[in-house]
Amino acid sequence: MKCVKLIGLTIAFCLVFIPGNPYIGKASEDSQCFKCHTSAKKLIQITREIAKIRPAVKSIEIEGEG
Amino acid sequence: MEPLAPHEKIFVDSDILDDENHGEIACIDCHGGNPDDPDWKTAHKGVVKDPTYPDATDACGDCHDEISENYTKSLHIGLRPFRVKIKRRANTNAAILNKLECAMNNHCYECHSSCGQCHISRPNSVEGGFLDGHLFQKRPPMREVCTACHGSRIDREYFGESEGLLPSIHKEKYMKCEKCHTGEEMHGDGKDYADRYEVENGPKCVNCHKEIYDREAKNVITHRIHKERASCHVCHAQPYNNCSACHVGKDKNGLTYYKTKASWFDFKIGLNPLRSEKRPEEFVTLRHAPVNWETFDYYVEDGLSNYNASPTWKLATPHNIRRKTPQNSTCNACHGNEFLFLLEKDIEDNEKEANKVVIVQPDLIPRKQKWQPK
Repeated sequence: MKCVKLIGLTIAFCLVFIPGNPYIGKASEDSQCFKCHTSAKKLIQITREIAKIRPAVKSIEIEGEG
Repeated sequence: MEPLAPHEKIFVDSDILDDENHGEIACIDCHGGNPDDPDWKTAHKGVVKDPTYPDATDACGDCHDEISENYTKSLHIGLRPFRVKIKRRANTNAAILNKLECAMNNHCYECHSSCGQCHISRPNSVEGGFLDGHLFQKRPPMREVCTACHGSRIDREYFGESEGLLPSIHKEKYMKCEKCHTGEEMHGDGKDYADRYEVENGPKCVNCHKEIYDREAKNVITHRIHKERASCHVCHAQPYNNCSACHVGKDKNGLTYYKTKASWFDFKIGLNPLRSEKRPEEFVTLRHAPVNWETFDYYVEDGLSNYNASPTWKLATPHNIRRKTPQNSTCNACHGNEFLFLLEKDIEDNEKEANKVVIVQPDLIPRKQKWQPK
C-alpha cells in the first residue's frame, strides 16, 4: 500500500512541479527547419538560388479558363 | 488570384509553437528530412512536401481518425465523378483506355485537394503557398482555397464579377462557403459517390429556407406550384458561366497544358438529367461542361468514341442566387419565353445526340399564364 502511495505522490509531484510537458515543444526552435523557415531573409536567399536552377513548372501554352 | 512570392510560400510563422495541438509535432514527423543539417540542399533530402496526399493516415489519422478514414473517398481527393464521366464517354478498347487513363492522370487528377491543401496551404493547382505561415486553419479561407480552384464558375458568380450581374445574395449576407458546404460534406462520409449531386449531406436550399411552403409564407403559392417542377435555381439564379472545348496535351518541354475556348455567360433551363427522389424537379438550370470530342486527341485519337453517352449540358447549381431575377419578375417572364430554355437549335450539331435527354422540346415549355398569384 505504501508503495502505491509513493508512486502516486511521485507522479503528482512531477505533474505539478516539473515545468512543461516532455512531449510539448517538439517543433523545436532549435531545429534547422524552424530556424530557416522563420527567417524571411534566409528564405529569400534560398528561393533565389532555387529559381536559378529550377526549370519552369508551368507551360506557357496554357490558354483559357481552367 | 495572384500567386505568393516564392519565399512567402514557405515562410513559417513562429506562432505555430503556441498551437497546443499541432505545435507539439516536430517538422520531421510529417515532412521527413534532416532537422539537424544546416545545409538546405541535403537537409531536404527525402522531404515530403504534402504529407497528407495521397494518404493522410500517418500525418492526420492519429487525432482526426474518422476524417482520415473517409479521406480517399471524399470528392476532393478521390475525384471519382471525373473518372466515371470520362469513362462513360470513353472508347472501350483496352489500349485506348490505357492512354486515356494516362491523359487523365496527367491532367484531370492533378486537380485535387488534400488536408494540407485546404487547412495549411493554398492548393497545388493554384501554385500552393502557406495560407498563414503554416498556422493550421480550421476553416479554409474561401478565396485562397475554395474559389482559388472553383474560380471560373463559382468565384465569378458568387462575387458578381461579371459585367451586369450581381453577386449572390448570400455573399451580400457575408456567408462563406462553409455555411452551406459543411466540413462533413467536404471530408466525405465514406461513400464513393459517382456524382457530386448524389452526396447525401450536400447543401439544400430548404435547410435554411424551411418556411417557403408554409401557408403564411410570402410567395407560398408560387413556391408550392413549382415544387418538383423547377429547381430553386431556375427562378433564382442569374446567368452563369459555361465552358467548352477543353484540349489537353504536353508542350515541347514536357509540361502539361490545357486550352479552352472562350467561356460565356448564359442562362438555360433544360430537363433534369439526374431526376430522382432526391431531385424530382422536371426543369433545372444546365451548364455546358468543358469537354468535346477531341479533348484527349493529343494522347489518343477517338478516345471519347462514346461521347454521346452523356450530356455535355449538365445539371448546374449557379452560385449567384437573387431573390428577384428577370425570369421570376412575372409568370410570363418565364412561361412561354423560349429564350430561357435549352432548345435543339442552341446545341452544336455534333452534340445534339449527347444532349437529347436534356433538350426542351417546344411543347414542353410552360405556356403563358393569364393569371398571376399575388
